[in-house]
Amino acid sequence: MHQPLETRLNSREPVLLDGAMGTELVRRGVRWRKHGLLTDADRVQQLHEEYLAAGAEVIRTNTFQLNPRIYLNVFRNRQHMRHIGAPGLEDLTPKLLRTSVRAARQARANAGKEQQAAIAGVLAPLEHCFRPDLAPEFEAARSEQLELARVFAEEKVDLLLGESLNTIAEARAVAEVARAVGLPVWISFVIGPEGELLSREPLAQAIREVEKLGAQAVLVNCAPPAEIGRALAKVKSATRLPYGGFAHIGRFSPPSWKFEFFPQFSETESWPPERYAAEAQRWQDEGATILGGCCGTTPAHIAALHAALGARREGAKSA
Amino acid sequence: MSYAAIGKKLGAGEMVILDGAIGTEILRRNVTWADHQLASRPEFVRGIHEDYIRAGADVISTNSFQLCRRALYNHFRDEAHRRQIGAADLDERADKLLAASVRLAIEARERAAGGRPVAVAAAITTLEWCFRPDLAPLPEQAKREYREIFQVVKDAGADLVLLETLNSISEARAALEVAKSLGLPCWTSFVCDERGRLFTGETMAEMVAALEPIGVDAILLNCAPPGDINAGLKELLAQAHVATGAYPHIGRFDPPEWMFTDEYPPARYLQVAASWKQMGARILGGCCGTTPDHIAALGDLRQ
Repeated sequence: MHQPLETRLNSREPVLLDGAMGTELVRRGVRWRKHGLLTDADRVQQLHEEYLAAGAEVIRTNTFQLNPRIYLNVFRNRQHMRHIGAPGLEDLTPKLLRTSVRAARQARANAGKEQQAAIAGVLAPLEHCFRPDLAPEFEAARSEQLELARVFAEEKVDLLLGESLNTIAEARAVAEVARAVGLPVWISFVIGPEGELLSREPLAQAIREVEKLGAQAVLVNCAPPAEIGRALAKVKSATRLPYGGFAHIGRFSPPSWKFEFFPQFSETESWPPERYAAEAQRWQDEGATILGGCCGTTPAHIAALHAALGARREGAKSA
Repeated sequence: MSYAAIGKKLGAGEMVILDGAIGTEILRRNVTWADHQLASRPEFVRGIHEDYIRAGADVISTNSFQLCRRALYNHFRDEAHRRQIGAADLDERADKLLAASVRLAIEARERAAGGRPVAVAAAITTLEWCFRPDLAPLPEQAKREYREIFQVVKDAGADLVLLETLNSISEARAALEVAKSLGLPCWTSFVCDERGRLFTGETMAEMVAALEPIGVDAILLNCAPPGDINAGLKELLAQAHVATGAYPHIGRFDPPEWMFTDEYPPARYLQVAASWKQMGARILGGCCGTTPDHIAALGDLRQ
């Protein structure tokens, strides 16, 4: 892993993640096609730069749910995709993944933070993140996630982050492919209304499984702040690995026609940056060290979190 | 206003011009279509309907592709999860937007038709994804959902239902039975493959035999390239006793948007449509990728 990050992680110092990419790009008016990576790569890079300026030490590639299935699923089959689909759809994913890493790397260079900040390649569920019933079995997940992980490895990301994983099988697949391509991996689970994985599989069991496969940190994400807080208490008792969380704020507002996960959250104003930072500080009080923001959060949320964590550090030093 | 004038034309063997694409036309005008723009930019949507009316369309279709409660709910694990993280209005959103889509089309007619008879078709597709018959719900469930949808568009004043981009006989039959039980005129339009078959592999003959006894008012083919539509139309015309029609797409599906190409400019599009009129089709219009200029070109078919 990125050496300064690994040091901080293992000494249990706080590590600040960035906030949302998708929902923030959409909020800023970027049309959600190809994750904005073909049409608005400059704005993707700009948002990474803003997160770095806000104090993020890990920036995540804008690749959530970016995989060949999201394109293939809206056709009858592969032959139909070739017949009526735009040219190049079959080879599009690796290109977009490379573009996403380059946008993050350029942002980090522009911010002059090559040493301080790490780039995490985001692997997400292959099917809709909120539909564990559609999730592939382990073998299929492993071979498809491996294709994505290889591209991230070639592009030399510092680590992989398995994000919003909703089944144990797919989380295991992500942990395994990271090992196969030689990259460190953090695993983050999406939490359902029951306080376990969205699949209802027990969080503690999921953590044990990915820990066995070499995950270097475990996280929980994409649930409201209160649920993330409760899940973190379970994580704490289930692992000795560094752990953390990033909550979403507001309400998921899907598109009125269907195309995969669409990053649009409404009513986010109920969680202004200071309120979110205060909530995340409570998670830190309980022992979480990796903190950031999921859907709905903005650079202002990360800046507030950074200020809150910084005040802690100063306070600790003077005490 | 009602369906009567259109039905009369078809009965007399006259041409009926359908409008062109609305979703891709929104994209072509540089606006995202993720939320249909029915609530956020109603005048813009209405303006496109007006452009199609001025281009000569006899039937305009609502901006409501895939707009249903199921499409919104599919983004969540289940009801508990939707209540946990979903926007508060999701239970009513689809019905409200559906009604708005009909109202906007009716308003466009009031502003642009100038007394010419123009019918408003509520455009309703499959409950699951239009190209994926494997995902279709069972008929009894489909009927419950179609009943809710059709009641909304009927109450909002739609003149007919245009069931479009259908992919199976079983879902088409379920929807058609519901439309007829509500007293709504109903056209059914299917996507077809290069062999001229439905996406389930079912034949035009099987489909016609299933739907004509239920009282389908017209059968069309749509959302495939002109070549595939041509193959399907030959089969359809050989079987159907009711009026038939077609509205192909042009360009390429570039999910979640559309890739526009210059393969079928309006003059060439007219040639294709004219050959279908020659074969016996009487309802012609445009699917994804077509524009008001394509529909204006179809005016020549009336001669």
